Order: sequence, then structure tokens, then C-alpha cells
Amino acid sequence: MNGLPLESLRVVDLSHAWAAPHCTRLLADYGAEVIKVEYPRRLCILRGARRDEGLYDRQPAWGQVNRNKLSVTIDLGRPADRDALRDLIRLADVVVMNSRPGSLDRHGFGPADLERLKPDLVILSMPAFGTTGPWSSFAGYGAIFEAMSGIQSLTAYDTESKPARIKEIDTLNGVVGACAVMTALVHRAETGRGQHIDLSQLEAATHATAGEHMLEMVMNGRHTLPLGNRHPHFAPQGCYRCAGEDRWIAITVRSDEEWRRLAAALGQPGWAADPRFTSAAERRRHHDEIDRLIEAWTSTRDHREAMHTLQDAGVAAGAVLDLEEIARDRHLDERRYFTEPQAAPGTRYMGMPIRLAGSVPPVVTPGPRLGEHNTRVRSGLLGRPDNEIPVIGPDDIGLAYDPE
Amino acid sequence: MTSAALSQIKVIDLSHHIAGPYCTKLMAGFGAEVIKVEPPSTGDALRRVGPFHKDIESVETSIPFQWFNTGKKSVTLNLKSPRGADLLKRLVRDADVLVENFAPRVMPGLGLDYETLSRVNPRLVMTSISGFGQSGPYRDYEADEMQVEALSGMMQVTGDPQRPPLKAGPAVVQYSGGLHAYSGTLMALLQRRVTGRGRHVDVSLMDCGLENIEIVLSNFLQVGRTPKRGPGPMLPWGLYRCRDGYAAVLAMPQRHWRRAGEIFDDPRLFEDRFAHVLDRMKHRHEYDQMLEPCVRARSRKEIFEEGQARRLAFGYLASPAEALESPQHAARGFFAEIDHPVVGRHRQCGAPFRMAATPWRAARAPLLGEHNDAVYGTALGLGAAEIQGLRGEGVI
Repeated sequence: MNGLPLESLRVVDLSHAWAAPHCTRLLADYGAEVIKVEYPRRLCILRGARRDEGLYDRQPAWGQVNRNKLSVTIDLGRPADRDALRDLIRLADVVVMNSRPGSLDRHGFGPADLERLKPDLVILSMPAFGTTGPWSSFAGYGAIFEAMSGIQSLTAYDTESKPARIKEIDTLNGVVGACAVMTALVHRAETGRGQHIDLSQLEAATHATAGEHMLEMVMNGRHTLPLGNRHPHFAPQGCYRCAGEDRWIAITVRSDEEWRRLAAALGQPGWAADPRFTSAAERRRHHDEIDRLIEAWTSTRDHREAMHTLQDAGVAAGAVLDLEEIARDRHLDERRYFTEPQAAPGTRYMGMPIRLAGSVPPVVTPGPRLGEHNTRVRSGLLGRPDNEIPVIGPDDIGLAYDPE
Repeated sequence: MTSAALSQIKVIDLSHHIAGPYCTKLMAGFGAEVIKVEPPSTGDALRRVGPFHKDIESVETSIPFQWFNTGKKSVTLNLKSPRGADLLKRLVRDADVLVENFAPRVMPGLGLDYETLSRVNPRLVMTSISGFGQSGPYRDYEADEMQVEALSGMMQVTGDPQRPPLKAGPAVVQYSGGLHAYSGTLMALLQRRVTGRGRHVDVSLMDCGLENIEIVLSNFLQVGRTPKRGPGPMLPWGLYRCRDGYAAVLAMPQRHWRRAGEIFDDPRLFEDRFAHVLDRMKHRHEYDQMLEPCVRARSRKEIFEEGQARRLAFGYLASPAEALESPQHAARGFFAEIDHPVVGRHRQCGAPFRMAATPWRAARAPLLGEHNDAVYGTALGLGAAEIQGLRGEGVI
């Protein structure tokens, strides 16, 4: 049995909100010691909008996105804290940040400062629009990149409807961030050299969802989407109503052979020979009619039963599961996907996105309490005297939601 | 001469369609040698998926293929023939990584399961991407993008509450799977430096889809919260109709929201009773009704520029054509020029992130079997007559 792959790695996480913390969460899940640096006067947005009764330590989103991390508090306005952070970074392999370019530089913690501090450091900056260019000082969140990258205009029920958000630009950009760190770590292992990575979330989102759609614009001067739940090439494809409230099944027919299988499964073998339905192009022409025929079958059936029936016939069919159904899904259960943290018995956490065979089973510790590891890090790791360990009183706490 | 980050890595790429090829596209871009193994004469099934360059259908003109396979070499090989499987094992002998995204029963059926290949090369990292993973009751289920979006909960929370669940336009789950496969493969390579051994990496697209809804799913698991489809609870946070399309108006950073009073012409929006996001959320309908006409009176560009000048995260809905011409992309050179013998010179997105010390290689997708002679002849040492024989027998 091997340990986790990143177990000897130390990451200092200066980031906030979702995308970059999702990146460091993945590193933490696979064994890295991730030390989240927090500023109590402006807590991360995932710590929530209310400060009463330590609610900021119990937000589910915080517990998930910052799981397996340590929390230390730092006030960059205090010289002793700046010294402590510098010492901490000297002991680190990776630093991740997502502030506006320049804002950490003002305190002496910009990428160039960090490179001087420790030349073999891997430094990931993932600000909204990258560290250069006319928009580099602009603010952005998932909803902004999704709109401005052109991605959002690809998802809608039809060309007249308001475009919908997809799930989820922040997590995608977080995984791209993890890819960036891993790439630099492989290079460092070969050469002993660190480097700075400039990740524009606008670019990463474009690359990691829509590269082929941008290329279609370049090559053919148009884009094929949005098509609602239909597919540009396969037909039919749709989301069909099933029995029960808000129950649905997603069906895709990718070939004439799959069309024959669907027809047989629905008890309509005649459809296979029907001249209106012989090719994807013909079926697309009669898509509305086909949708009515399919829905006549699905609407009287349970969405999961319908899925099993169609899958048994070799048709790509997926029940649209809601959160409750996912939480007790037998496939996930059999793969032992969910995990119960030792530190929070009775609660369930999501598992890992990838399985490394022969590795230790995942252990999840929910996101840390504010400053939970101040003593462990300041005193244990950095050898600072006890009087330098921050004491956080109720008046020291401010939220990202507090108005100016 | 700076060498690329992954220049020491050799990858055998059996993958097709999107998830696997995106993973190996990234590997090739960051310098790995990626040998894409395709079925003789037909190639990767994606070669037959449009849209096609200038609508001319051929194995070298699929636009998605041109995007997902940049920087790779292509060899043809019939894995179903005993000779083909044997040649694959020879390719695997000095490879670091093998990536595949067949249905889980396929590789064992070909006698090419991880145990067999790791006996050929114990240092091999084998990365298998599939709809539902290498085990479990859904293992052999047929799935395209949409089925995984359905089963991972993404669809249930996408779209409008009064309308059916909506599939994402882009292939989000497959891209997610490609990204997780890439980072997981590199993790296994790092660990190999310590253990001396490779391992099997199991990437389930369903699990990757669950990652994409981690916050709503965690809210359900921990406090039983079940949101309806549609926008999240924060306000304002999303697209509003404006004079020339949609503007993206986010009260972010929250502390700056009052500054929007200089942009939107209704002082009630910025009264103390709406200063905190929780107060706005309590009066969602009333607040949106006040905000909508204010946004409608302005243009996309005005809202974007005036908001950002006040450090607010405002933007607008861009069409792909507008995004392509974005001044930010132009200034940063996000698009790379690529030459291709069939589709000609064109622009594609370049690096997904910029590494200061190691380059991204902008290169074209390979022609089908373009590197047969180089790989089978030079790398494996087969003679010209032997290669001709393999061709004749349909092995390559």
C-alpha cells in the first residue's frame, strides 16, 4: 500500500473564494499539507455572511472547499506576522494566490518577492484576467468569466432564451490550477527549479470548456450552440419527462444502431425502418415528433427504471438525479464514494475525483476553524514564542460581506 | 534552450473523443512526447464528428479533432489483432504513461489490462477514464456527455425551475475528466520517483461531475439544503438585460456594492436597509424590480467599464466572436497561430496557463498514421518491408 502522492509537499494558500481554494483542496486531498492563510478582518466569502456564534466555522461550503487544510491567521499590517509568513514560505514548496495582481506585492509577497525568497518555489497566481494586459487589474468571479469568455452564450434552451450558467467555472478553473501546479512540480523534480505560473481565469475557462467552439468561430465564422438539450450531430437527444414531480431522463442516440436499439426497447421496432428516421439527419428533421414519441413512453415510467431498461438494451440513457438521490446512489455506494470524517462523525463528505489504485483510502477532515492551527504552525513549525500566537477576539472578525 | 516541463515524459495515447484526448493534448503542449494510437483507416471516432473545416467532411477536417489533438504524433494500430496487441506492448515497454478512455471491459478484453501492462513495464502509469469508473453497477453503462451530466446532478441544478433540466452547451464533464486525469497522472509520476513503480489511475467522469457541484452537494449532505434549478441565492449576481444585450452585474466584492450607486440611477437600491446581502436576498423580487430598469438603461460596455473603474466585478455576455477579439486576449497573445497541411493556417487557444520558465508548444494535430514510419521504423526498429507487411495485413 502506497501513501498519498503529495504527502511530502507543503503548500501555502493565500487564496480566497472558490476556484483557487478548490485547486489547493485537490492538493490537500492527495496528501499535501496545505496551510490556509486567513485575515480575520476580512474572512473568505465561503465563511458566510453572518458572524454570530462562530457560524463562520460551520459553513458547509467552507467545510468542503477547504477540507484537509490547516488554518493560520496573519495580519500583513504587523511586522511580526510578515516575518512569520516569510519564514513559512521558506519552508513551503508551493504558494497559491488569487488576489488582484499587485495587491500582495504591496506587502512584499508578490510573485517576484517570493521567487527571491525561495528560488525553487512553485508560485501559482490565478487572478481573474491574468497578471498582464489591459484588464489585469479588473475583478472577476465565475459568473464574469463565463459571460465574457463567450462560454455562457453556448448554453440556453434556445437562441431566444436567456443563457444559463453551467456547472461550474470555478471548479474547472480550480482543477486547471492543480494541473498547473503539478506540471511545475514535475519540472522541479527533474531540474530542481521552481517557477511562477500566470493563470488567467478567463483563459483557463475558455481553454477548458470551449476550445473547439472558438476554433469553429475561427474556421467557419459561426458557432453551432446553443441547442438546448439537443446535440449538434447525434439525434435524437433530449431530456424527457418521467413519472413523478420534476423527474427526467437524458437520452442520446449516437448511431443508427442505437436508434434500432431504442426503437426495440420502446416496443416500436417499426421505427427502425421508417423512412423519416433512417439517418441522424432525417431524425433531426423530425426531432419534435420523435421527442413526443419518446416522452409518451418515459412519462409513465420511473426515471431510474427507464434508465435501467434502456441501458439493458444498450441505449445511452441517464436518469437526472437530484441531490438526495445522489446521496444514496447505489453505484456511488458500491464504489465507497462518500466518506465519513473521523473529525465529524455522523456527517458525510464527498469522495475523491480520481482513484489511485493501491493508495491509502481517503481521509477527509472538514475545513478548519479560523486560526485552528495557529499554535501548531507558529510555535511548532516556526518556533515562535507563545506571545506571538494571535488571539482572535470577536471584535477582530470581519466578513467579506460587510459593506464599506 | 529551455526544455519543456514534461519533456522527459513519453505517453502512449489510446484515447478517443474528448476526455482522454484533452488530457493528452495538455501533456503534448507542455512537452511530453505523445503517440496517439488510432484504428487503421478510420482513426479516432472524433475524426468523423463535425463541424468540419469549411463543411468539408474528411478524417483531417474535423474541428473538434483539430483542437483536442494538437502536438501529438499519430500511428495506426489494430489492437484487436494479436500482432497489434503485441506491438502495443512493445510501445509500452519504454513509455511512462498510457492513457485510455475505452469502456472498462475493452482493455481487459484485448488482453491489455493494467496487470498485464505493468508486467511489461512496472514503471508505467496507466490512466483509465470512463463514464462511471472501473467498478460498480453503472460500470458498463453507455454514456455520452449528457448522461453523465444527468447522473452526477449537474443537470438537475442547471436551467430554469419551470423548465426541464438543461445540459451544458460545452462538454464540461469530459473536459473536467481530462483535467483530473492530467493532474492525477502527474501525481502518480511524482510518486513513481519515490516508489519506483507506476500505478493505475481510475478516473470516473461521474465523480468529476460531482466535483462540479461540490458546494450544492455539500450543502445537501451537511444541512439537507435542496436548491431549485436556476440562479444561486446571492443578489445581485448574474445577467441582466441591458440596452444592447446582457450585462453581468455582481455585487462583488460585496463591500464595494454601494459604489454602484454612481452607475445605477435609483437611490433606493443603495439604502441602508439593502446594505447587506442578506437583506437584499430577503427582498429579492423587489430588489430585482428596482435594479432591472437601471441596468436596461445602460450599455454592456458602460456597465463593464464603469463598474470595473469602481473595482466592482461587472462584465457582459460576449458572443464567441466578440470573445475571440477581446483586447485582453490580444494583449496576452492567448491565441496561437498553427499551420496545418489540410486546413491551413489558423488560430487556436494557446496555453491554458503561462509558465515563466517552461514553454507551451503550439503545434498542429497529426494526420492519420502520419508517424507510422518514424515510430515503427525508427523507435521500434522495424524494417521497411515489415512495416509494409503490417500495412498489408491491416495491423497498422
